[in-house]
Formats: sequence, structure tokens, C-alpha cells
Amino acid sequence: MSLLEFCQWVQSTDLFSAIRGSWYVYPSIMSLHLTGIAIFGGMVLVVDLRLLGVALRNTPVADVVNSLRTLKRAGFVLIALCGILMLGSKAEEYYYNVFVWAKLSLLALVGVHALVFRPSVYNNAAELDRAPQMPTRAKVAAALSLLLWIGIACVGRGIGYVETPIDKIHAELIGKR
Amino acid sequence: MLLAFENPLNESPLTFPILECIHIVGFAFSVGTIGLVKLRLVGLGMRRLSPAQVASAMAPWTLFGLGLMLTSGPLLFSSDPDMYYLNRAFQIKMVLLLLAMVFHYTVHRQVVVRAGPGGTTSAGKAVACLSLALWIGVIFAGIFFAFT
Repeated sequence: MSLLEFCQWVQSTDLFSAIRGSWYVYPSIMSLHLTGIAIFGGMVLVVDLRLLGVALRNTPVADVVNSLRTLKRAGFVLIALCGILMLGSKAEEYYYNVFVWAKLSLLALVGVHALVFRPSVYNNAAELDRAPQMPTRAKVAAALSLLLWIGIACVGRGIGYVETPIDKIHAELIGKR
Repeated sequence: MLLAFENPLNESPLTFPILECIHIVGFAFSVGTIGLVKLRLVGLGMRRLSPAQVASAMAPWTLFGLGLMLTSGPLLFSSDPDMYYLNRAFQIKMVLLLLAMVFHYTVHRQVVVRAGPGGTTSAGKAVACLSLALWIGVIFAGIFFAFT
């Protein structure tokens, strides 16, 4: 099974067909996706701005990071779940969408970012508080994280600008739209 | 009446999407930082700080986000005013946005100021939830007017 066939299959399942078939379900999921982006994005922002030394300077990094960890994860789960529901409902169309691929690539870079910086920065907050100055490594992590997430938000908006390649979409699936 | 005036925004196909990106980033800054204060009021998130401390730390970033949003928003609107003006979801968004901002800077602010270091009363929590609900309403109306 090729990736394209997999996308066609995912899209044709009952769940994803139902999402596609209703006029209000998809926009509702997208609204929840954006709500999650605001809440999760706000928390990413606060942690990164603290690391950069421009917000909450009197609060230890450890307090900021640890108090937001659970909420951040919850927010990420909400965003990812909504994202998967949207992606699956138009999987075939999105297979041809360059912005979807750009967004997935940037998300993969977020994973790399976590692998590189989590041990020495985000899971090492107490150590950062003891340092006389914020280590450059932590500031680089924060700046890259901000850039990545802003990039993801912008690329995400781009997805809606790509027109459906009607000629390439599987005929049977068009009938179900 | 047709005006013999072309909105410069409509001359490049890139202007609108770039403005939209600024709008989304501004939205994440403002609603995100506002959301953190509301979460703190209901007892979630940065509990080591009082709600007032969270609010004052977030305030400049909220304003920065609102500034981005409230400049990019009207510019987006100017690209096709009639279409927006006549769209029911857009009208609802504007009403909710006005309510959300007024409520945030009046009732909600009072709750934050009066909250002790530990948190707030049940009434204060209700205000935080209502305020958050208004902002989520703005988001839903904003998305739905692209689909109606």
C-alpha cells in the first residue's frame, strides 16, 4: 500500500467521512485547534521569554517550566488530536498540499529540538537558576523554539490557500464529498 | 457608488496571507497570555505566583499581541469590507471581541486585583471562565466566517 492509497483509505473510514460530510464539524475542530494554539502557544511563549530574560525575570525558571508542564502537554494533546482529525478527513487532498508537508517537517524539527535541548535546558531548569547568567544554550533553545512555533502557525495558515487538485483526487472519493 | 480607488493591499497576492500570519501570531500572543491569567484564576498553571503577579508579567505581551491583531485585522477587513460587513459570523465576531476586551479590562481586571496570593473566590473563577468563553467565542466566530 502506497502512502497515497493509505491516505485514501484513512479518508474513506466512517469517522473521517462523517467529519467531511458535516458543514460545521470541521470548522468546530479547527476552532478548537486554534483555541489550543492560543493556550499552548501562550505557555511556550512564556517559557521561552523567561529563558530569554524578557519576562518574569524575578521568577525562577524552574517555577515557570514546572508549573506549566502539565498544562502544556494537555494543550499539545488537544492541538494534535484536532490536527489529526482535520488531516484525516481530507487526507488525500492534503497528500498533495505542500504546506501540510512543510508543517509536518517543522513538527519533526520540534522533535529534534526537544531531543537536543530538553536534557540540558527544559529538564535542567534548577541548574539554569543557579548559573550566574542564563547560558547561551538556553537562549538559543528559546529563540529556536519561538521561530519554529511561529513558523508552524504561519505554514498552517498556508494549508488553506492551496486549491484542491480536483483532477488528481480519486473519483470514488469525490462522490462521497 | 464605486470609488475610483484601489486598495493597495489587493495588488499583491501575498499581502493577505502575510497579514493573516501576523494576525495569528498576534492572536497567539494576546489570547495565550490572557488565557494564562484566567487559568491561574481557576487554580491552574503558575500557582507559585499570585494572579495579580501573573497578570502584570503578561500585560505587556498581551498588549503587544492585541496591537498586532488590531492592526492586521482592520487591514484584512479593508481588502473586502462589504463581504465582511454582511457576513453574520463576522458581525458576531466583532460583538464578541468588543465584549471580550471590555470584560477583560473591567470586570476581569477587578477580580485579578482583588484576588489574594492564593487565588480567588468562586465568583472570581466564574468571571475567569466567562471571560475565557468570550475569547473562545471570538475564535469560533472567526473560523466560521471563513466557512459561511
